[in-house]
Amino acid sequence: MMGGYGDVQLLRDDGKRLDGRAIDEMRPVEIKVGVLPAAQGSAWVKQGLNVAVCAVYGPMEAHPRKIQRQDRAVLDVRYNMAPFSTGDRIRPGFNRRAREISKVTAEALESVVLLERFPRSKIRVEIEILAAEAGTRCAGITAASMALADAGIPMRDLVVGIASGKIQDTVVLDLDKAEDNYGQADLPAGICPNTGELVFLQMDGDLSIDEYNLAMEYNYKAAAEIHEIMVAALAARYDGGEA
Amino acid sequence: MAAPVPNLLRQEIERLAADDKRIDGRGRWERRAVDLEVGLLYNAEGSAKVTWGGTVVYAGVKFELRTPWPDRPTQGSLMCGAELRPVAHVKYEPGPPSPESIELGRVVDRGIRESGCIDMESLCIVPGEKVWGVMIDIHVMSDGGNIFDACGLAAIAALRTAIVPAERFDVGEDHVLGVSSTPIMASFTRAGGRFVYDPCEEEELGGDERIHITLGDTEHLHSLQKGLKGAFTPAEFAEILDVARKHCAELRDLVASKEGN
Amino acid sequence: MSQGQDGAEQRLVTPGAAIGPATGRRVGTGALIQGDQIIATRVGLVRERHGTVSVDPVASTYMPRSGDLVIGTVVEARSNLWFLDINGPFQALLPMSLAPWKVEFGGTRDHADINDSLLMRVQEVDEVQNVVATMRGIGLRRLAEGAVLLVDVQHNDTLRAEGAALLKRLRDLSDCRIVLADNGRMWVDGEDAGIDWLRSLFRDVAAAGRTDTLNSIVEHHAANAPNRGEA
Repeated sequence: MMGGYGDVQLLRDDGKRLDGRAIDEMRPVEIKVGVLPAAQGSAWVKQGLNVAVCAVYGPMEAHPRKIQRQDRAVLDVRYNMAPFSTGDRIRPGFNRRAREISKVTAEALESVVLLERFPRSKIRVEIEILAAEAGTRCAGITAASMALADAGIPMRDLVVGIASGKIQDTVVLDLDKAEDNYGQADLPAGICPNTGELVFLQMDGDLSIDEYNLAMEYNYKAAAEIHEIMVAALAARYDGGEA
Repeated sequence: MAAPVPNLLRQEIERLAADDKRIDGRGRWERRAVDLEVGLLYNAEGSAKVTWGGTVVYAGVKFELRTPWPDRPTQGSLMCGAELRPVAHVKYEPGPPSPESIELGRVVDRGIRESGCIDMESLCIVPGEKVWGVMIDIHVMSDGGNIFDACGLAAIAALRTAIVPAERFDVGEDHVLGVSSTPIMASFTRAGGRFVYDPCEEEELGGDERIHITLGDTEHLHSLQKGLKGAFTPAEFAEILDVARKHCAELRDLVASKEGN
Repeated sequence: MSQGQDGAEQRLVTPGAAIGPATGRRVGTGALIQGDQIIATRVGLVRERHGTVSVDPVASTYMPRSGDLVIGTVVEARSNLWFLDINGPFQALLPMSLAPWKVEFGGTRDHADINDSLLMRVQEVDEVQNVVATMRGIGLRRLAEGAVLLVDVQHNDTLRAEGAALLKRLRDLSDCRIVLADNGRMWVDGEDAGIDWLRSLFRDVAAAGRTDTLNSIVEHHAANAPNRGEA
């Protein structure tokens, strides 16, 4: 992803980013739950211009039998980008990137869902990206944990997906499209807002240890902010707007 | 796995039908509330979201530059596809496109294509060399019944608000896609022995026949599709067609109210 | 809502939220102990009763337990047993020997056919969620008439609170027979007007989600009830 870094100006003279954000400022986040009536639980997350929607079904009997676990449920997670979600249309169907993101998202959620309550079952988590502007896997993880909560699936904690990265040798929070394309590093993380545990972590590019620490500090700061929005979204659905 | 249809539910729908009532309290020809939003997805050159009772669908329009077919050197192309992904209902499984999703996409496609609302010649940039390919993808997010009408509405609304991204492809200035009319679909299902407009999920469970009608601005027919097992009479069709005219006109006004914003 | 919780106002919590110190308290459903804290595992309202802290969930799926009264739909009939959808993750098995009828081997469909609804009890749920049902017991039977409404399981406690006061009120207002099962289903039978009234009421209940709004939804619908006489 790190094509031609250094030659594209991503920071303005006043130290702000091209869209006017400060280096430790995330894009606006909006969240709603209960958006898909046919689903048991659902959530809609808009982060910048990204739109991720997730539906949850289950627990139900796991099929085929060979995927059943006698002592717990399995999470069947699909991350999919709608054909119109990107600049060039994506042909529907299997792709390696979606498969990898589905796998790591499932593993992130497995760390918080109380799977042992549902032997031999599966819980289906369907993440659809309707608009992509860098950071869709993170928006997808946030949406998935919200949809699971909305479905009444027991969990130890929610999960917030958020990324920091590096542009023009500067660590910044929540890369947008241009910053992702021309930046030097991307560090997406899945953070449990209450325990502070990390359940998802990827990185590519080039970061010093100090830069990593700063990027992660930004991620934690943003996770706390997004968590407040998540709690408010659940309260809006179930508590007439007050947490 | 098909959901079981309890005999009690079947009896209940029949009992209500005998009383000229429906399981969700509507009249026989009454429509559920429909909400339409357009231009809400970054990256799609045209987009629409339709919330129709418990059904939610999105449609997005994308453009590509391509070489025209040799026998039609001055014509662009239109493609419309629908996906019934497992997000939309517990009954949908992951895997290659099902016959149901292919039928859905093709019925919506025919209604739009055959209405002639898009002049294929207007999609030509350089005859024989460069034309626009218009692609509409419909994404069903929640199947609460009557996804056909919701998909048809989302597709035409996305098209009528689409901007041709000519600048990005270096072939002139961005401009609105010329769409000369607004074909609208109206669907009916047999429930409890008689046809109803805009079936809800429980009414579709019975699996009796459905009829989809697409009407253009001048109330000409542009596509018809009869689906599932069962038969109907010419008199029944005449009655349905009359109902379709009224609802198509209303929904056409709804689309018009969202344009030019 | 008044179910004997200590506090007057119920607090909405989300998964992972700390409810309070664990010392001297037990945890019920929807909560667990992590370190020295009780935390919520569901979205719901905190309830503390006799030293036990639990969370009444706002959304819930049915998990069968032994002794539950359930309404099942026959999905498969074999020579000597039935499989039923009971709105849980797994189907329930009803063996011929636990049916209330004298069934000949191979004659199961003569008594309960595919898509029939049966009122049953859960006899046993083993550790891997196999469910065995029985129809031996008072009132257990095939439901040939009436309608089955969907009522999310988180509402059951409210409907049954204070000697099932709310259920009684619904019976009076609708003039219907009502059997509230434990598996998110309710059987109602009576005049058409009563059934239609109950269905419309429970459609609003499903849209609201929270169980403490149940009373006000009932009151809202009471004005249109078939039987508005003093209940």
